[in-house]
Parts: sequence; C-alpha cells; structure tokens
Amino acid sequence: MSLKPLLRKLFLVDLIKGLKVTFNYQAPSEAITEQYPLERPVIFERFRGQPRLNSNPDTGESLCIVCNLCALACPEQLIVVKGERNPTTKRKEVVSWTYDLSRCMFCGLCAEACSTDALELTQDYEMALYTREGMVLDQAALERGQEPKRYEK
Amino acid sequence: MGENQPGYREWTMSDSTRTDYLDLDTKDETFLDATELVLNMGPQHPSTHGVLRVILKLDGEKVLGTECVIGYLHRGVEKIGENRTYAMFNPYVDRMDYVASVSNGLGYCEAVEKLLNVEAPPRAQYIRVILTELCRIASHQVWLGTHALDIGALTPLFYCFRDREEILKIFEKYCGARLTTHAFRIGGCIYEAYDGFEQDCQKFCDAFLPKLDEYEELLTTNRIWVRRTKGVGILNPEDCIALGVTGPVLRAAGVKWDLRRAQPYEAYKDFDFEIPTGLNGDTYDRYLVRIEEMRQSVRIIRQAVEGLPQGPIMAKVPKVIKPPVGEIYHSIEAPKGELGYFIVSDGSTQPYRVRVRPPSFVNLQALDKMVRGLLVADVVAVIGTLDIVLGEVDR
Amino acid sequence: MFDAITKYLSSATTPGEAGSIFWATIYILIITAGISLSVIAMNWLERKILAHMQIRLGPMRVGPHGLLQPFADALKLLIKEDIIPAEADKLVFWSAPVVVTMTAFTTFLVVPFGRTHAVTDMNIGILFMLGVSSLGVLGIIMAGWSSNSHYPLMGSLRSSAQMVSYEIAMGLAIICAVLMTSLQTGTGTLSMIGIVEAQASQHTWFIFKFFPLGFLAFGVFAIAMVAETNRAPFDLPEAESELVAGFHTEYSGFRWSLFFLAEYAAMLAVSSIAVTLWLGGWMRPFPNWLSGSIWNLAFSLFPALTLFVLAGLCLLGTARMPKIPQMKIQTVGLGIFGLLLGFIGLVLIIPGVRERVQDIYWFVVKVAFFMYMYIWYRGTFPRYRFDQLMKVGWKVLLPTGLAVLIATALWGLLPQISSAIVGVLP
Repeated sequence: MSLKPLLRKLFLVDLIKGLKVTFNYQAPSEAITEQYPLERPVIFERFRGQPRLNSNPDTGESLCIVCNLCALACPEQLIVVKGERNPTTKRKEVVSWTYDLSRCMFCGLCAEACSTDALELTQDYEMALYTREGMVLDQAALERGQEPKRYEK
Repeated sequence: MGENQPGYREWTMSDSTRTDYLDLDTKDETFLDATELVLNMGPQHPSTHGVLRVILKLDGEKVLGTECVIGYLHRGVEKIGENRTYAMFNPYVDRMDYVASVSNGLGYCEAVEKLLNVEAPPRAQYIRVILTELCRIASHQVWLGTHALDIGALTPLFYCFRDREEILKIFEKYCGARLTTHAFRIGGCIYEAYDGFEQDCQKFCDAFLPKLDEYEELLTTNRIWVRRTKGVGILNPEDCIALGVTGPVLRAAGVKWDLRRAQPYEAYKDFDFEIPTGLNGDTYDRYLVRIEEMRQSVRIIRQAVEGLPQGPIMAKVPKVIKPPVGEIYHSIEAPKGELGYFIVSDGSTQPYRVRVRPPSFVNLQALDKMVRGLLVADVVAVIGTLDIVLGEVDR
Repeated sequence: MFDAITKYLSSATTPGEAGSIFWATIYILIITAGISLSVIAMNWLERKILAHMQIRLGPMRVGPHGLLQPFADALKLLIKEDIIPAEADKLVFWSAPVVVTMTAFTTFLVVPFGRTHAVTDMNIGILFMLGVSSLGVLGIIMAGWSSNSHYPLMGSLRSSAQMVSYEIAMGLAIICAVLMTSLQTGTGTLSMIGIVEAQASQHTWFIFKFFPLGFLAFGVFAIAMVAETNRAPFDLPEAESELVAGFHTEYSGFRWSLFFLAEYAAMLAVSSIAVTLWLGGWMRPFPNWLSGSIWNLAFSLFPALTLFVLAGLCLLGTARMPKIPQMKIQTVGLGIFGLLLGFIGLVLIIPGVRERVQDIYWFVVKVAFFMYMYIWYRGTFPRYRFDQLMKVGWKVLLPTGLAVLIATALWGLLPQISSAIVGVLP
C-alpha cells in the first residue's frame, strides 16, 4: 500500500468527509419539510385531481352533451351518464351523471375524450372522506367542485 | 393450522423435492452440529422493499439457502390487459414498477406502436427520451436511498428524495401526475412540452451533479460502505446470462449489454453516452454502475434538450386502435433492466394476451445464488442491490 | 433544617464517604430524576438533530418545535397495551427490562458530577462501573431468549458477543488511564474522583498526556463505547433493516420504554466514564492557561450564559411563530418556557449557587458533546456487518489498545529506566 492511501485510512479521511456533509446540512434553512396544512404545496396547471363538470358561465347550462365518450374511455367504467333528448330543444340533456371517485385512478382519459371540455380534472387534491358512499359524485357535486376544507381540532 | 383447514399449504422447506434445490446435501463446515434455523423474512419486514417474503435457512447467521415467496402484491395486470382496449390499458402499466412508471408506459406504447407499424414523430421521441432518462435518475435515486438505508446509512435516503422531488415536479408540470404518470400515448405524446420545460431540465441537470458528488462523499469511499458491499453477492457474467439477469446487475458483471445501444429504440441512436460496466459483479460494482448511469442520463438529457426538434408530437393513429392480427415482443432498457412487452393481437380492439417481462422478477431469481454462504445482513444488502420493486415482481 | 442543609452543602465529601444515608438517598433520587429527564431531552434532541442532518424538521406539532413530543410519546407508551407473547417465558420476559434498566442506573452511583456531587466515592469506582454495566448484557440475553422468537434471539446473541468482545478493548483503554494516574505520583487509583483529581494534580487532561498515547487510548475507548452501547454504526443487535428491532422486537408499551431508557442511560454512563477518564471530569477547560480569579469568574458565569442563550432562542422562536389562532397556545407556552429558562439563569448568577453548579455544568457539557457525536455517527455511517464488527474489535482495537498500554507503561517508567541506566553506566 502506498503512503497516501495508508495515511488517509489512518486519519479516517473517508469517515470525516461523510461527517462533514451531514454536519453542513444541519442549518435550518436546508430543511425541505412542508408543513402541510399550514403551507400548501404548489399544484401545477396540468395536475389531474378531483373531476369537475363545467357549465356555461353565461347561461349556467351544463356543457355536457351526453355523448358518453368519457364513459367509454374510462378504463374502470366508473362514469355512468344517462340522458334523454329534450323534445323542444332537440338536445340531449343529462338525467343522471355519476362519477365513482373511489375507483378513479386519475389517468385523465375521460377528460381527454370529452369533446366539449365539460369534464375536467382540476387541481383540487383533498379528496379524503370518512365514508365510501360519499365517493360517488353526482352531477351537482361534480359541478360544485371541491368544497374548501378546514382542518381543525 | 391443520391440513384440512382452508388456506393450508404444504410447506416447502422440508419438502423432499425441494431439498436438492436448497443444497442440503453438502455438509456445512461447522464444528458444532447446530440445528438449522428457518427464519421468515417478510412479507412485513423493514428491508424487503415491500411485500417480498424470503424464507431463509440459517446456520447461526450464515445463509444456507433461501426461497422467495412472491405474489402478495399480485393485481393481475396482465389479465386486466385482456379486458381493456389498447388505450385503456396504458395507465395500468404505470402501476407495475411504480418508481419508474414513465419507463413502463414507454415500453407499452412502443410495443403497440410496433404492432400498429407507426412511429412517433421526432419531437415526441425526444420528449420521451428526456422523460424516461429523468425517470431513470428518479428510480436510481430511490434505489440508492433505500439501499443505503438497508445497509444502515439513514441520511442518503433524504438527500435522494429531495433531489427526486425536482424530477417529480417536472413530471407533474408535464403530465399532471407525479408517480403514476400516464405520460405517453400510443403514437406519441399527448402533452406538449410546457413553457420552461427545457429550462427546468437544464436546471435540474446543473443542480443534480454536485448533489450526486455529495452522495458519493457519504458512501463511495466510506470504509464501512466499502466493506459491506465489496465482494458481497458476486454474480459472474455466465450466471447472469444463464439466469436472464439484465440491467445494471448484468453490466456490473462486465457484460456491456444495454438495449439503448444494442437495439436502439426511440431517438437513442442520436445521443452520445457511455455504458458503464463493472469488473467483479459485486454489490459495490453495481453501486458504482448505477451512480455512473445517473451521470450518463444527465448527459443524454442535456443533449436531448439542446436538440429538441420542432414538429408534431402525435403520429397518425386511429381513434380506435385495432392492430392487425399478430404478435409482438418489444423490450426497452428500463432502469432496472430489460422491460419487455409481449402482445398478441387478434384483430380486435383488445389485446388477446399481454405478457410483461419485468426486470425485477427475473433479477430476483439471482437472489439465492448471490446470498448462499453469506450472512443475514448481506441478504438485506443483496435485496437492496437487486433493486426490485414488488409491484413489478408480482404484477 | 436550613442549617443542616447549608452545613451539608459546605462539607467537602460525598454523602457516601460521610456515611450520611439521608443525603445519599436524596442524591440518588436527584440523579435518577436527572437521568430520566436527560433521556427525555436526549430523545427530543436526537430527533431534532438527526432530522436537521437529514434536511427534515423533525417533530413540530406537539408543543412548539415538538418540545412536548417525548412526553406525548411517554404517555402513549404508558397507556399502550402491554403484550406478552403467548409462548414467551413470562418471568424472564418480565424481569429482563428491569435488569437492563437497573444496571444502567446503578452505574451512576459512582459518577462524579463534581468533587462532592457524587453518591459515593468507591475506591474501585471504575471497576464497579464496568462490572455493573456489563451486567446489562444479561438483561439483553434474557429479553432475547424469553421472547421465544427468532429475531430477538439473533439480536441478543449478536449483542452479547459484541459487548463481551468490545469490553476487552474498552478495559485496555481504561487501564491506560488508570496507569496514567499512578505513573508520576506513584499512587494509582481506581476511584472516579481520584482519577479526576490526578488529572488536576498533573495539570493535564489524560487525553493530552503522553501525546499521542493518551489520545490513542481515548480513541480506542471512544470507538469501543459506541459498540458497547449498541449504537450506530455498531447497532447490530437492533439493526432495524435486518432484525426488525433486535432483542426488543416482542416488547411493547412500558417494557419497551424501559429498554429505551436503559439504552440512553447506558450511553450517558459510558460518556461519563470517558469524560472522567480523559476529559478532566468536572474541571473547566484551560485551567492552566487561563487561570486567575478573573478567568475563574468568567468560566463560572458560563452556566447562566448558556441558559440565557437558550432563553433568548426560545423568545426568538416565540416572536417568529406563525401568527395564527391554532398556534396561540404553543406561542405562549414557548414564551413561558423561555422566561423560565431565563429565570433559572438568573438564579445561577448568585455567587453561592454559581460556585457549586459550575462543576456539574462542565461535566454535563462534556457528556453532551459525546451525545452529539453519537447522533452524528448515527446520521452519517452505514452499519457494520457482524463479522466485520468482530474484526474491528479483535484485530484493530485490541492490538491498538495493547500497544498503547505497553507504550504508556514504558513511557511512564522512562525516568526510572533512564536513572537505572545512568546508575549502571560507569
């Protein structure tokens, strides 16, 4: 063994190098913990979160034309859309719209399939509920979107 | 549990058909005729990387033989594939190797594209390369953190996850999900690169290399790390090939086999990168190979970002994908090794059969060969160095 | 009553030497409570320091900056269901944590926190400490055996082998220090107080004596003591990633917390041995260079200053707390805690108190240094494998310890040898 590695070994250079790294990281400014309910994470625009049914902001009518494309695109078959043709306007209107959030894997295929931008996966991510029943969203819940939650003791 | 009760299973360790498999005939050289100890490691054990169960036959601390029991995370992904259309099955493959979901998606999309005989446009190919290489780095970071944690170094895990966070942010900005990305579609990409995508990737590359040196400072020369990994779990090239082991484990044994170079897919032929190989095929070499692979990935990302062409991102693919009758096997170099998809099409909208060749599952077979005669602590190190993900092993 | 207290406090011996059972009992109670409190403090500090090394924040929710987290955990452990495995050897399973805890606490009988701040001064003090702390292995073996489970059994076997082999290296290092007490004065001592006084009379800490021999012996001890207390990188008996939790895998609730208590008490005990033998025990730093009444005064103000700094940090934290209703209780609590620390600091300025407290202060500071090192190692190093651990113990530390011991003896005998040679020469 040549002299330099031997000396490095004797004076524990390899261990001290590691100790230096951990020591330097102790500064509180290095901490990256996010204090979740106090600090909210930044959610980016394309995030696929809670689904929402959009309606026309001017008229308040649902944008959904009951084309059933989303239900066909869904791998889990969790979207059930029922509609019937309104005889006066000759347009299909929603009768029932359910979205089973508990089975959703947020792949975004339904939103991609939607031809009118009615169904959209939003940036809301706090979808935890106490019961499974509440996970099946109907049209009203989907249009309302996520209600802001407050966590208190 | 009685024999007649449901769930009873003939135990394999004492089974006479399995004894030669466990190599019980060769007498062990101990001065004490110690009775052997059968230790059940897992499925709930801190370092079996999920729900792997390893039955260890021990003499004191020395491992005489192992048997892996898998299937605790079986979700029947391949069977699901037979009941979904080609496009619908795409999100499911992300859930196999969930730390490298982008690579899974890439392999699947390419296999179907091959079946359809279409090719993604150049811009889509470049975006795919950038994302899969980022994903390789992320996967290797998870490997490094958990591997170091198994060997007892607690801290690298947190440094790795801090830097992985940047990659996940790029994924989230690009495709809207961090882990199960569903980033690519058959025929290209559906998402255009967002504003600042290139800058984000460049920024990550610049920031990541010094961090990588930091991981190395903590581990590479550390005498405890070297002692724990050098000469542990040696796999020679012949065994690797015989067992079908691929990926960094194979390359660490000195076989220069990387599908990105051997049968270039996507735009990999455009890039200049090295294939790191090891000499001894031990745990330390696998560590060095993976660290070097991260550096090479950074190199590829830099080249791809600089040369990112303009143009469409989606090839002409019919809305309803109906491949011609036939079968295809396509494999890519996932972070853990060769990830192959074998798809049989009967001409309908759903695949007749999907078979996945997961790298973790095949690599896991080498476990027994690697740990014979080592100590219990080495079993943990070897499971870590094989870099298995149980979601992929069990599928 | 008051007279009795002041009379006792002005005496210059330990209660054990004075034969006062009453004061000895008081001391034992204070030390037991102090050790338990410092274990709780250590728990919080370890979590915080380790967290910050790992770029995390650590406990933040229970109390300001998680200050009450250890108390919450203690409460949780106390009210947790106490599980005894059906196949366990119940009697042994019960007694194992008791044995471990008792031995860990008993060692503190002879630890000198100051010239008079010890329960007693045994003339075999260091031997007593070694002997009693070795008994802790018994408890670990009992725990591993009685659990009737594979992981604890392997953990306890590892532990016993490890502790037995590292005790030898540790013993050799200790003999070096004991030799150093006798070499110049000719009167060696095994008493803990005697060893510190020998350092005082030789005007040097033993770590600097016969440089580098004292330092090497200290190094051997510093490595052996980490192994002796089963801490990273030698934490094989409870190697989390291999043996789940080692010998206390099957323990839960209060029994588990006893093991926890014992582990930290053992760490404090071996650290106090190291401080006593090599770092001058309760002596303040630089008694030779910075001597004189002004320096004495300056150093005796340190305890109060430390508390003032801590109080200042607390008040700063109070000011920087997020101003939201949920954090109000925490903000007020932190403020009160800071004021309390400041008040204690003020008390420590009183001259009578100041003189008597500074010995304890310097001792605690030196022990705290070792505690920090423990945490630092844990945050940085991977874990040794069992055979490598044995190799380090028997092939590195033992020969080094022996060599240092022989060299120390020869160096100490140098005057006699040289005079003998001079006498023989014509």
